[in-house]
Order: sequence, then C-alpha cells, then structure tokens
Amino acid sequence: MNIKALKASTLYGILLPVLLLVLALALNVGPVDIDPGKAIQDWFNDRITIESLILFDIRLPRSLLAMLIGATLGLAGASLQGLLRNPLAEPGIIGVSNGAALGAVIVFYYGIAGIAWFLLPLGGLIGALVAMIVIFLLVGRNRSIITLILAGIAINAIGGALIALALNFAESPYAMQEIVFWLLGSVTNRSVNELYIAMPFMLVGWGMILYCGRFLNALTLGEETATSMGFNVARMRLVLILGVTASVGAAVSVAGNIGFIGLVVPHLIRPFVAYEPRRLLLSSAITGAILLLVADIVVQVFSDNGEMKLGVITALVGAPFFLFLILKSRNVLQ
Amino acid sequence: MNFYRLCFTAFLLVSASLFAAEKPQRIVSIGLCTDQLLLMLAEREQIASLSVWAKDENMSYMIDAVGGIPLNNSSVEEVIRYHPDLVVASQFAAWDTAKFLRQLGYQVKQIPPARSIEDIYALLRQFGEWTANQKRAETMIHTMQQELVEISERYAERPRKSVIVYSPNGFTIGANTLENDLFTHAGYINLAAEMGIDGFKPIALESLVAADPDVLQIDRTLSRADSLATAYMGHPVLDKMIEHREYLDIPTRLRICAGPMITEAIESMARRR
Repeated sequence: MNIKALKASTLYGILLPVLLLVLALALNVGPVDIDPGKAIQDWFNDRITIESLILFDIRLPRSLLAMLIGATLGLAGASLQGLLRNPLAEPGIIGVSNGAALGAVIVFYYGIAGIAWFLLPLGGLIGALVAMIVIFLLVGRNRSIITLILAGIAINAIGGALIALALNFAESPYAMQEIVFWLLGSVTNRSVNELYIAMPFMLVGWGMILYCGRFLNALTLGEETATSMGFNVARMRLVLILGVTASVGAAVSVAGNIGFIGLVVPHLIRPFVAYEPRRLLLSSAITGAILLLVADIVVQVFSDNGEMKLGVITALVGAPFFLFLILKSRNVLQ
Repeated sequence: MNFYRLCFTAFLLVSASLFAAEKPQRIVSIGLCTDQLLLMLAEREQIASLSVWAKDENMSYMIDAVGGIPLNNSSVEEVIRYHPDLVVASQFAAWDTAKFLRQLGYQVKQIPPARSIEDIYALLRQFGEWTANQKRAETMIHTMQQELVEISERYAERPRKSVIVYSPNGFTIGANTLENDLFTHAGYINLAAEMGIDGFKPIALESLVAADPDVLQIDRTLSRADSLATAYMGHPVLDKMIEHREYLDIPTRLRICAGPMITEAIESMARRR
C-alpha cells in the first residue's frame, strides 16, 4: 500500500478530535431523547433530574468504559502483533480474552468478587495470563501464522467450554443465560462501579505496554539484535505480557470478550506510522477507543432494549477483515 | 404400530370415561400454583402428593397447610408411584412431565396463566369442577370479591400513584398481566403498560429513569452480585431513584400464583399508596 506516513502531530490532530466527536455523539444517543444542555446545567447545580441522571449516571460511565476498553484492545492488539511478530495476533483470536473471561466468571459467580473490589479484574488477569503462557508454550519463537491460529482455536475452545462449565455449576439461576455476555461482550447497563473497578488495572497495564515501545521497535530486527541493543529480552517480554494481561483481564472482567478490535486497529493505523511498532501503540489505543464507541452507538441504534451484544458488531466488521488478512498472507501459509 | 396406537387410544377413552364421573381421590400436583389451589380447594384426603415448591419459604403461601403430604420433584417416575387419577400442573411448569404423563394415559389437567382477576375467578371455578369442589370455589370467589370492594372503599380517598416494576435483567411488567391488574385494583397506574409494553419485557434503564414513576417496585434483596441479571439491580442510578421516592416490595409468595392471596397483595399495595 502506498500510504504516506503522517507526522505525529498530524495523526493525533486527526484522531483526538474524532474521538471527542464520537464521544459527544455517544452521549447523545440512547433510548430516551434528552437535552444535554439541561443535563449539564442540572448537574452543575447539584439537582438530580431525569436529564442529569441519564447523562451522568447512565451514558457517561458507559461511554467512558467503552472508550477505555476499546483503547485497551487496540493497544493489546498492537503490542501482541509486535511481540509475537505475527500479523494475526489479537487477544480474542489467541484465546487471551476467553482466558480472562473464564477467570472473571469464576470470581464473579462464586461469590469471590464481593470480598474486595480488585478480585474481579485480578481474576481476569490471572485467566489471561494462563492463556498467554499456554500460547507461548505452543507457539514460542515460531512465527508461523498457522501455528498461532491453531493454538488460538484450541485455547478458545477450552476457555469457552470451561466458561460454560463454570456457569453451569453457578448457583444463580441466571448464570447460564449470561454466557452470551461473556462470549460477545457488552457495556449495556454498566455503571461507574465497573469503571472504578477496571480502570486502575487498565491504566497500569497501559503504562507497562507503552514502556515497552522501544523494545518492540528493536524486536522487529530479531531477538539477538534487541539483546545486542541492550534490552533484557526476557524481562521486557514479561513486562509486556503482564501489561497486556492486566489491561485485557480488567476490560474483559467488566465487559466480556469483545473480539476483533485488537486485530483490525493496528492494521488500519500501521501505514500512517511508517510501520513503527512504538508509534503504533498510542495511535492504536485512540483508534480502538473510537471504534468501540462507534460499535456501541450502532448497538444502541439497532436495539434499544440492550439485548444486542457489542461483539456482534465488532465480529461482523472484524471477521471479514480477518479473512482478508488470511488471503493476503496465503503465500506465507503454503 | 397401528395396533399399539389403537390399544393406547382405547385405554385413554376408557380411563377418561372412568374418571370423569366420580370425585378424584388421588390427585398429584407437579407445580407451585396447583399445589396451592389443591390445598385451598380440595379435601385433604383427595391429595396424594404436592411438588416440593409447596414447602418453599419464599414462594409458597400455603406452607403451613402442607403438613405430612408427600412431596415430589415433578418427575414422571415419582408421579406414577402414586397411581394418580388426576395430575394437575401449570401450563408452563414441568410441561414435559405433563406431556409424558398424558402419553402414558394419565388424566392431566393444566391451568392457563391468569392475566387478570377475572381470570382467577374462572380458574377457581374450573379447578373446583376438576376436583369436584365447586361449592368451595364459589365461596372463595365470593370472599375475594367482597374483600376487593372493601379494599377499594377503604383507600378510596387516597390519590392514585404511578408505578413501574424493575426486576433482574431489566425486565418490567406491562399490560395484559395479572400484576398489571393488581396495580389497577390497588389504585396505581402502571407506567410500563401506559408506555405500550405488553407482557413481561425488558426496559432500558434510561426509559425507566425518564418515566419518573412515583413508586418503584424493586426487590432490593436481589442486588447481590452473583449474576449480571441481579448486578443490574445494584446500578447507582437505581439507588438515586429510590432515595427520592418510595419503593414497593411485595412478597413473592403473595403474587407469584393466581389465587385468593392476591387480595392480600392488593391490600398491602393500596395501604402504601
């Protein structure tokens, strides 16, 4: 492709206003028509009105959560593609998201989450970490796309089955129906509570991932070169993996497994950052936030009772893109 | 195959004609609502077994009347052990057991869901007929009617209030439901029905806030977080709504089934109007 790389200021000069625009749109979309001006006025005057409740207690936390999760998934996709040096790496495809969902399901439905706020995202983190370790054992330094996809299929299948098993034995009569939430993801009716629970883990995870930017640049030249450039490869890899599992684990533990954002976003952005992994990170985070917000707007427009899941939209867009990537790399596969 | 079918049909016809004439003596109920109707309407000697729900503290209104009547788990095996001459069930509870029993040639009667208080009267009459206790049924209907008149007179001067139900998964109760009729009789306006919601459907949290009811009916004991469905009940916006208005919490056992106990539910709703 012949796309000219953009200067950082130009790129963020486009992405950030778009993000704000989409956020403003998201705050205006919902089953009830409200006047945002009145909502803001009431809120500043400490008046609890219908408008202020809808804008500040329902829409704002939900949209902020969608933004943070989208950013997490974009960042995780970009860093995993760099770390595994594989264009198809993505938390959903390689099974890390399902691992996180399994960890969260066990903590959530068996009464562990009520003990302390951090246990839910921690459960997600541990589940994601286990899946990540299995991926490394299976794929290791092998850059083969086929190995990665097959390992992902296996881990996803095991993760999905264990989620179903855990929900089946849960005490709540609603548990089994909620498997759709964990497998397809949603931010409907999520509140500021979930935002507070997930945010610390996501922010720490982001910090760890961004810290690894230069290491990802060096890694494009191979592990030996990265070592010779002064990077402790094993240590940096661990930081990156912990960063990804902390942020993805927290995101999945409050919103379920939302697929394909992490796959699509880095591919969209890469040409604009001159294929430089370090520059890809932050721009992928912002683009991920934009895309997930747009997906959530689409969900609300098409289903005002909140029954449709976010993963439906992201898969409808992401899965054909996944096929396109496979077709593009067919020569590599054969 | 045809031979079997013939025998089967013959068996059905014979058993039906045998049972139709006399008073059933070994009635088995395989669901909560029919358990309660049996305990209220049938004679004790007529009842062979009730479902385990009859003894459930949260669900059953007739828990004290169960006494030593054997309980069943609504399975076919347990039911046929009692050689029932009549099996009663709700249309939606244990429907597979009911279907199986019918295929085996047992007399199975299923009660339809009640959508109004008129439906309850019809149901009581029907049940009285099935168990040959018509007189008791008529007395019960008469008492209910009197109680309803008394309740509406007692609270007539109080203003009508608007109400919305919010239950796990964001479900609310709209028009054409027994609950809606209870609200009407207790002097409430169900905003979900006004909004055009029919039956039992989910409502967006935003729409709930925008409807701005005087009273919110919500079961706060369900807000413990062991499922997403009940975690929704812990949304901060509901806390804020409750801070500023009353909320109704009518015990499940008074309103889950069609029967005379709904007058008690109506009374407690009207009293808090």
